[in-house]
Amino acid sequence: MSDIIRATREVAVTNEEGIHARAATLIAELVRRFDSKVEVIKDDERVESTDVLQVLSLGAAHGSKLSLEAVGGDAEEVLDALAKLISDNFSEN
Amino acid sequence: MKFADFVSSEAVRADLEAHDKEGAIREMVQALLDAGRIEADESESIVKAILKREELGSTGIGRGVAVPHTKHPSVDRLVGSVAVSSKGVDFASLDGETVQLFFLLISPPDRPGDHLRALENISRQLRDDTFCKFLQQAKSPEDIKQLLEEADNNQFGS
Repeated sequence: MSDIIRATREVAVTNEEGIHARAATLIAELVRRFDSKVEVIKDDERVESTDVLQVLSLGAAHGSKLSLEAVGGDAEEVLDALAKLISDNFSEN
Repeated sequence: MKFADFVSSEAVRADLEAHDKEGAIREMVQALLDAGRIEADESESIVKAILKREELGSTGIGRGVAVPHTKHPSVDRLVGSVAVSSKGVDFASLDGETVQLFFLLISPPDRPGDHLRALENISRQLRDDTFCKFLQQAKSPEDIKQLLEEADNNQFGS
């Protein structure tokens, strides 16, 4: 049985259109494949990463800085995957 | 950004008849056409573009909410409509629930910031359960317009 780990990561939103509906959906779908719970923090707001409505309410435009906070046995793995998704610009052109 | 900045009040519908995704989108685009916010000869192209976007992944974002949208060169500013379906529409949402609340957005291709701010406003307001519940219970376009106005005046939480 794996230990509970808390991990954090700072990421910048680099895709031109920011965290729009499809991007927020991809974040939610990715996190749901892991066991850890992940919160997304922008400025003073903290939201649940699997709730698309909450993530969209951050209005994270191009250039925004986000903190990702994961708690669970695969906290590092989920943040690695999430940071890659965001830095790969959600595979947008 | 407020609802009044992008929602065309003449294009608000409280009684969507559609049972499916395409039908709901067509009704809302027709509402924008009837309100004079889009050109008649562009409406089919707009419907097709919105349906194409849905193929990438449903804009049914959970909690009975959908935000069908597209960029389209025929609009020079962000235009939107709001609709309520009392019986709910199967929209292949992320959480599997049917959709009662629809916010349809058409934005000029060169204005991604406006689109994002509209989404931010919609989702921020919808985080308030009271606003969501009242909107779902709206019986007329006037009810919806009043709720949007109250939301614009910060009368709901979050």
